[in-house]
Parts: sequence; C-alpha cells; structure tokens
Amino acid sequence: MAGVMMTVELDPGAADLAAAAERLGVAAKELDSEFGVVAIDPDNHLYTVMVDEQVCVAAARRDGVSGPYSNPRIEPYGPPRAG
Amino acid sequence: MRVVIELRSTPAIRSALRAAQTITPEEALSGRLVTAGLVLDRTFAPVALPGVRLAAEEDGRMLAMGAPLDFSDEPTTLVRGVIPDDDAQHGVFAAATADPAVLGVFADPAIEHCLTCGGDPAVGTADDVARLLATERLHGAGLTGEGVNLAIVDSGINVAYLKDRGRDAKVDAARSWTPAGVTSKPGMHAVDHGTMCAFDAGIAAPAATFLDHAVLLSTQSGPTVMAGLLSDAVRSFAKLREVLDGLPASRRALVVSNSWGMFDPRWDFPVGHPGNYSNNPRHPFNVSVASLEAAGADILFAAGNCGRDCPDGRCNFERLPICGANSHGRVICVAGIDTNGERVGYSSQGPGRLEAAKPDLSAYTHFTGSEVFAPGPDSGTSAACPVLAGVVAAVRTQYPANRLSPLALRSLLSKTARDLGTSGFDYDHGWGAVDTAALMSALEGVPARG
Repeated sequence: MAGVMMTVELDPGAADLAAAAERLGVAAKELDSEFGVVAIDPDNHLYTVMVDEQVCVAAARRDGVSGPYSNPRIEPYGPPRAG
Repeated sequence: MRVVIELRSTPAIRSALRAAQTITPEEALSGRLVTAGLVLDRTFAPVALPGVRLAAEEDGRMLAMGAPLDFSDEPTTLVRGVIPDDDAQHGVFAAATADPAVLGVFADPAIEHCLTCGGDPAVGTADDVARLLATERLHGAGLTGEGVNLAIVDSGINVAYLKDRGRDAKVDAARSWTPAGVTSKPGMHAVDHGTMCAFDAGIAAPAATFLDHAVLLSTQSGPTVMAGLLSDAVRSFAKLREVLDGLPASRRALVVSNSWGMFDPRWDFPVGHPGNYSNNPRHPFNVSVASLEAAGADILFAAGNCGRDCPDGRCNFERLPICGANSHGRVICVAGIDTNGERVGYSSQGPGRLEAAKPDLSAYTHFTGSEVFAPGPDSGTSAACPVLAGVVAAVRTQYPANRLSPLALRSLLSKTARDLGTSGFDYDHGWGAVDTAALMSALEGVPARG
C-alpha cells in the first residue's frame, strides 16, 4: 500500500491494528496490515501505522493522533555518482 | 602581484644552467626592472626554460593552440618576484618592454590542493585506516567489538564475501531484519553497499556481531512522493529497540550504523508542513531515533555526499543537505576525510537542520578496502560512517551503555578528536577526526565492565 505514516498513542498491552484503527476512527482494513503497528517510542506509548493518504485527513484531528507524516525515499550515500 | 619573468640568457648564464650550477636571481636579471618596482624573490633559484622559436603568424598571434612549437637550443631563464598592484605596475611593464633581455612578465597565480572527489582513485588502503585508528592498540587492550551488536542498516551483508577477504564476520540472523518480499536471508544478501559497510566497520571492530538490517532492499514503491523506504527504517529501528531491551544491563551495547539518507527534498513534505521529515523532530522516524538512543543505543549516520565542492549528481538541496535523522541531536553525524586527513569534496557540510552543530566528527573514506566497487574505492560518507561505528563498537566491548551513556561517549569522542580545519568545531569537519589513541586515554577514567 502506498501511504503515509500516522502516529497514535496506544496502550502497550493492546497495540494492535484494531486498537489503532479505533483510535484513528477508521476501519481496520484502511490500515496497511503488512506494515502493522510499529513502536516508535514505547516508553511514551507511541506507535506508527501506515494509512492511505485519503483517510488521514479526518483521522489527524482525533485525540492521541498526529500526522500524516511523509515516507520519503532513502538511498545509500556512496560511492558518489556523477552529476 | 606575484609574477614570473622570462629573460634571455647570457652566454655565461646558459653555460651555468647547462652545468647545473647555481646562479642567483641578480645574475639573471638586469637592474632596470628592480628600479621600476619589481621586488625580486631571492629564494627562488632561476629556472632554465626551453627557448621557443616562434613562427611569425599573419594575424600576429604568438602561441596559438595547436600550432607547432620549435624549441631552440637557447634556453631562457625564469625568475620570480612581486610587482606593485597599483599604478606603479605600469612602470614595471614599461621597463620590461624597453629591456631587450626581458621576454615577458607573467602572472604567478596561487595553486591549491584539489579535494578528493567521486571518481578519483583511492587515497590509501584499509591498512592505512587501521593504522590511523591505532587498531593495534585498541585490539591489544581487548577492544575488538567482541560481544557487541553492530547493526548495519543498509542493503544487506554477504558474509561469504567478507570471509573471502579474510574477515571472520558473524551475523546474528535472529536479531536481523529483512523487508517483506526480499527472498535473500541475513548474511547472504547480494554483495553491495551493505557488505562494504560491514567490511569497513570491521576495521576497528573485527569481533563485533553484525545485525543485518537490509532496509535498502525494500521493494516498496508508489506513485506519490509519500511512498518510499523510510517506513522500513521505522520498522528496522523498532526491531532494534526490541533487541536492545532484551540485553542485560551489563552487556547493553548496540551500535547502529546508517549510511543512507534523503537526496532530494522533493521526496518529502515541504519544510513547515507538520508531516515533513527533514526538519521535524516529531516525524515518527526522528522520534524512534530519539527513543532508541535514550534506551542506550549508539546511533551513527553518514553526513551525506552533497558537499559544495563536488556533490553527488543526485543531490538536489539548495542548502542544508544534512537533514532528518542524519542531523538529529542524538546521533553521531559522520563527515568524510581521506587518509591524508583532508576532507573529501563530496562530504556534506553543516549546519544540520534538526541540530545545527553537524557534522559531529570526521572519519576515513575513499580508500581501497572491501573492493565491493572495485576498481573504485570504499567511498562516500557511506564508508566513513561504519569506520567510526567500528570504533564505537570496539569501545563498547568493555564500556557498555550503563557505564558510559551514548551521550557521554559522544562527548568523549568530540573532546578527544583531532582538530581539523578552523580551530574548534566547524561545519566541514565537526569536532575533527576520531582519535582513538586520545579516546583510549580518556577512557582510563571510566569504569570498565567488570
């Protein structure tokens, strides 16, 4: 799924797609299940999910949610290529 | 203005030059130019030049490119000096024109060392890097990386290739990570950039255990600028946090080497957008970096190859190319220097976007090493980053994070660095070149793992 990242605050004991979807106010199928729910700051109960850009607009206004965040391409830094 | 003056040689001077005898500038030069304002450089011994017999040309050009030159057997003599920059300069040229002994007064411009750029041959070898890192002393003190997890977050490692090159590399497959859809396994990925990084990390930490996080093998792609690979790095770092949390405090040591980044800001949301990555500490990946470091990991990022002198062709930053996690305040951002201690021309310069004082340190690159890209060298700030990561992993052999926090180690590295460029920190070199000998001396005051 091409998408963007959203950050959600979840209970560590229930940090799954269903809980993330409920927090975002979307159906679980709207989340990238292959990406899953990824802990980015477990000490502060912060997790990231991948969603389609279209669904994130309303979701971003909900409590405990931030985003959407970019998912840019990354490339290796060597050997340098000619211009 | 510095000039060189070409003079007709007298028979005596020609005889002396042929006999390789020393002549003085005063012997070569008539007094008229000195009177007009030339200050002769007496430290520059006159040089014999082959005399050129010029063919007359209809348009009066003296030395057209491509025209055949007839070198006479009458050498001329070159001396050096300084002439005034102001109107008095005209008097020197007038005297030169009037003096039949003077063939010409030419500019003597300053020349400078050319920085090493992409495509240039290697400067030194991995053995030179080892010598510069004082690995004999490191390893003699038991600082080999033994028992230390060193994650190469890259394109994957090929252990068989490293073994062929004399490296007894080991990969912990269980703690490694491979993106979905990639069929090769940890330690058995195609020989490429990641294998180079593992080789270079092994210079200082030959006994470290590699964690092979093949993020750059991701097959993720998409039609919009928001589809890419940073999300795979997010997953990789989450896995690394699990690895770190599973280590006992007495052996809590995880070094994470990242020789990748973003080349083009168009791949990102614009600066100021709340979803931006390059300038936004709240971006999920930047949050995960901070979290992993706070948990005790040493995280290193290459500064990038967008240096002003000879940037990589993919660079599309107008300014501030050190961005995103590469510029994070909790990572070591590594610039590249060659084994002569000179900054390589493509090494990105600060300030950084998340943290201005970047890069942090300089380490060695552009040397003959892994030969993954032979005949080209191990190059880019890609090679410099794992070189320094290896030093960090070597230190962690006996100084785990509960004895020496990542922040404290970064501070020691900066304080003991060999200063380069302008005095103190600068945006080309950071605090300077990693100095393992000085670092080891500073570690004597830190309690080692019992």
